[in-house]
Amino acid sequence: MNRNFKFKGLIAGALLCGLIGCGGGEKKASTTKESDAGSPFPRSKTLYLAGSQWGDPTTFNPMADIWASTWPVGKGAFNLVYEPLLSFNALDGKFEPCLGTLVSKSGDEIVIDINPEAKWSDGQKVTSADVKFINEIGRRFKDAPTAINAEYFTEIKVEKVQNNGVETERLTFVVEKKVRNNPLIVLDHITQTRIYPAHVWEKALADNGNDLSAVQKIQVDGSAVVSGPYKTEAATNEKIVLKRRDDYWGNKALFGGKMPAPEFIIHPIFKSNDAFAIALQKGELDGSQTFIPRIWMKQKDGVKTWFDQAPYFLAGALPIFVMNTTKAPTNDKNFRRAMAAAINYNDVKELAVSGYSPDIQPGLIMAGIGMEGKYFNADDAKQFGVSYDPALAKKILADAGYKSVYKADGTLDYMTDKKGTKLPTLFIKSPAGWSDWEAIVTIAVKGLRAAGIDAREGFVDASLYWPARGSGDFDILLTKPDNAVLPSTPWSRFFQVMTSSTWRPIGQNMNENYGRYNNPKSKEFNPMVEKLLKEIPTISDPAKLAEAYRALNKIFMMEQPAIPLAYLPEQFYEFSESRWTGWPTAANPYAPPLLPWVGASTKILWQLQLAK
Amino acid sequence: MLKQYPTLRYILQRGGWYFITFVVAVAINFYLPRLGSNNPVKIIMGNTSQGLSSEAVKEKEEKYLKEFGLVKVKNGKIVRNEDGSPVKASILEQFISYVGMCFKGDLGTSFQKYPKKVLDVIKDAVPWTIALQLPTILFGWIVGNVLGALAAYKRGIFDRVFFPVSLLLSSLPFFVFGMLLVYQFAVVWDCFPAMGGYAGDLIPTFSWTFFSSAAYHYVLPFFSIFLIAAGGQAIGMRSMGIYELGTDYIKYAKWLGLKETRIIAYLFRNAMLPQLTGLALSLGTMIGGALITEMIFSYPGLGMAMLTAIQNNNYPMIQGCTLLITVCVLIANFTVDILIGFLDPRVKAGLQIGKGN
Repeated sequence: MNRNFKFKGLIAGALLCGLIGCGGGEKKASTTKESDAGSPFPRSKTLYLAGSQWGDPTTFNPMADIWASTWPVGKGAFNLVYEPLLSFNALDGKFEPCLGTLVSKSGDEIVIDINPEAKWSDGQKVTSADVKFINEIGRRFKDAPTAINAEYFTEIKVEKVQNNGVETERLTFVVEKKVRNNPLIVLDHITQTRIYPAHVWEKALADNGNDLSAVQKIQVDGSAVVSGPYKTEAATNEKIVLKRRDDYWGNKALFGGKMPAPEFIIHPIFKSNDAFAIALQKGELDGSQTFIPRIWMKQKDGVKTWFDQAPYFLAGALPIFVMNTTKAPTNDKNFRRAMAAAINYNDVKELAVSGYSPDIQPGLIMAGIGMEGKYFNADDAKQFGVSYDPALAKKILADAGYKSVYKADGTLDYMTDKKGTKLPTLFIKSPAGWSDWEAIVTIAVKGLRAAGIDAREGFVDASLYWPARGSGDFDILLTKPDNAVLPSTPWSRFFQVMTSSTWRPIGQNMNENYGRYNNPKSKEFNPMVEKLLKEIPTISDPAKLAEAYRALNKIFMMEQPAIPLAYLPEQFYEFSESRWTGWPTAANPYAPPLLPWVGASTKILWQLQLAK
Repeated sequence: MLKQYPTLRYILQRGGWYFITFVVAVAINFYLPRLGSNNPVKIIMGNTSQGLSSEAVKEKEEKYLKEFGLVKVKNGKIVRNEDGSPVKASILEQFISYVGMCFKGDLGTSFQKYPKKVLDVIKDAVPWTIALQLPTILFGWIVGNVLGALAAYKRGIFDRVFFPVSLLLSSLPFFVFGMLLVYQFAVVWDCFPAMGGYAGDLIPTFSWTFFSSAAYHYVLPFFSIFLIAAGGQAIGMRSMGIYELGTDYIKYAKWLGLKETRIIAYLFRNAMLPQLTGLALSLGTMIGGALITEMIFSYPGLGMAMLTAIQNNNYPMIQGCTLLITVCVLIANFTVDILIGFLDPRVKAGLQIGKGN
């Protein structure tokens, strides 16, 4: 979770970055001592990328629980060793072929042809048996990864068709209509689920008495049967090395006979955030997916980003404050709206996230961003939403009967509600040490207190943050509902924030709607929210879809169950051209700005060239 | 008993105390992380429950609880309460099974690095930690003490330059000094690598290329600790030396007209005793790793593994590390105790009296 920015930076790290940023004005990207001769991985054949693996490698077993396995196998749509049927391109919303090719999609079924050329590294063909194995494993083992997704389709039908004289297996994912009825989740699932060789893992299951836990513990090395363009070559606690598979099926079938340029990919595992910035500047790292503050100061050292000026990155994620709606005063929508008006979003953008964010608009739809920008309605935002306006915040509070009590020295002491009852201090829970999240909270607290709202920073260890999030043990919580831009975005964000279909009381775990908004058992329950959330995935008419999103966003703005804070990059993507050129940028947007192993960005590997 | 062997008796007595300390330390290390309400399986589930139905989450949670020995198990099945929830294993039960496992050489499975064994994590990291810490501590100690004793005895210009420099070095925080080294030597002058234990394009092997690369990467981390450690030792030794210089026995020795080298030898021997205890402590705790140095230089070692273990309430990993640290601290102290027994005339005298009785 939040793999894309895990900044356990010491303040020291920031200091160092500052030092390096300020010093050495005329210095060029350095010539680091290299020994191409003595090294098993010559620099001219090796691509160094980082940001997807943070601790020691643990297991490369694809069947292991997602949280436990290591890059390039673990969580995230990494397509280097195992591949999905399709990759989703967040730039144009298209589904790009991988092990399969999209034939058609509708609200009832998604039809995909398996690429007839697709082969495993042991020479066997990739077949419908492989696809069925991983997709339906959730029906055999309830606790298998992504098991719940299997409830969204009733079956995978297989038929043989002729494509230009080539016999091809055609798969039809039949959308489950009665309970779930959500083709968007099926599409998410297809692009996120990588296919594993059934003949290998069925045998492993049989050898282990059909015990999934035992199979999950099998250690897997570079000799594993894979389908992707690379295989694991070596792994230590300091790095993971992948080697190109020159007989990869896709070179011919997908890339016109070309091979990926780098023979090796090395993912160094650093222990602190500033190591990435230094390595990029020194040309020891070719690409990274880490939050580097004040990236413009690194440009002179050859560190580049999607845009070469602000906001530098392509936005795709929306961090929010989730309000606990089960207790006073955050159960009052007026109070929540006052809070939304009290936060200086421009400060958040400039100071907390280094300006890596376009201006934010009210509502849960990111205005002007990606495929969802078209659903944004400026009139609604003006009429129903609140922007930064301290006077309005005070007015809403006063109208609703809240009073702020100040100490003799003029600082805020506490608040009272309209009955005069003293209200508790509200703590904004956020993981300690995530420097930009901490900065967001600090800036928000400043604004809230200035408006007379008694809020404070509540930084806790990440290990306390995660359980508290699911069980609703917070007043206000900073979280980021999007992990990636998916086919289901922005529906998935609305679902994350607003649904009460998976309702559990405070104290029990809920994976959505952490603030317990819209209790289905309460008098104020708004059935419209659930109705729209249920309908949107099945609407295919663009005008009706826009109308539905508009209605849902309107409810969000009026009720304000959460406060969006900034438009952040989906995944930070910085690169250096000192060794390899040909990276996608806003000027040459042939792939989404992600590291070249995530989904549709994997094709970057075929476009890279050695720098002259 | 053993009155005729005072030395042996002294060793056994000390050994007995150390054993009791060991048992108490292990028990406390086991108990402390479990005091909090935050169960590590909950932390895992926070990461893994997405995409699972609530029954599957429960099933999975129980699987982990069982695997990590946090619930009662009978005949391979979880013992349940009347409402179907698993019966939690008491801390005492957990402790007994932990001690049993330890005797079999199994420190358990790391929660965060599942399914990696704690012992493997430690085995990977400890050689780096020892390679970084042992020479820096030893050299720092020797160099610091010799210089400190010299400064105390010589005084004059040497001391006037030496003392402020040591004071500056020893009061510099590790991370500031480390960062300054990185900035100057790796970024501005670009003559030493900024990070890593060896070159980014190598895999550890028994080869000249690897060892030379490791040595090259060793320089900055070494000096970041060494200079500060030496500075601290020197100040301690200097003050001890000056104190000893003022004592009666030195004055007496001078009046007797003993040779200067002889006096310095006496001085050194007496001033060294507290320094020796300090050395033992730092040698014992060194296994815990130089966390800050590891972070600044992205250097391999146990420090980071311990930090993440503590942050995630990773019981088996915390226990494994603290066990190792406890053993090392105790062994180092024990050794020094014995050494002092031979070196310190006062302890020796005590032994003599013991003999007399």
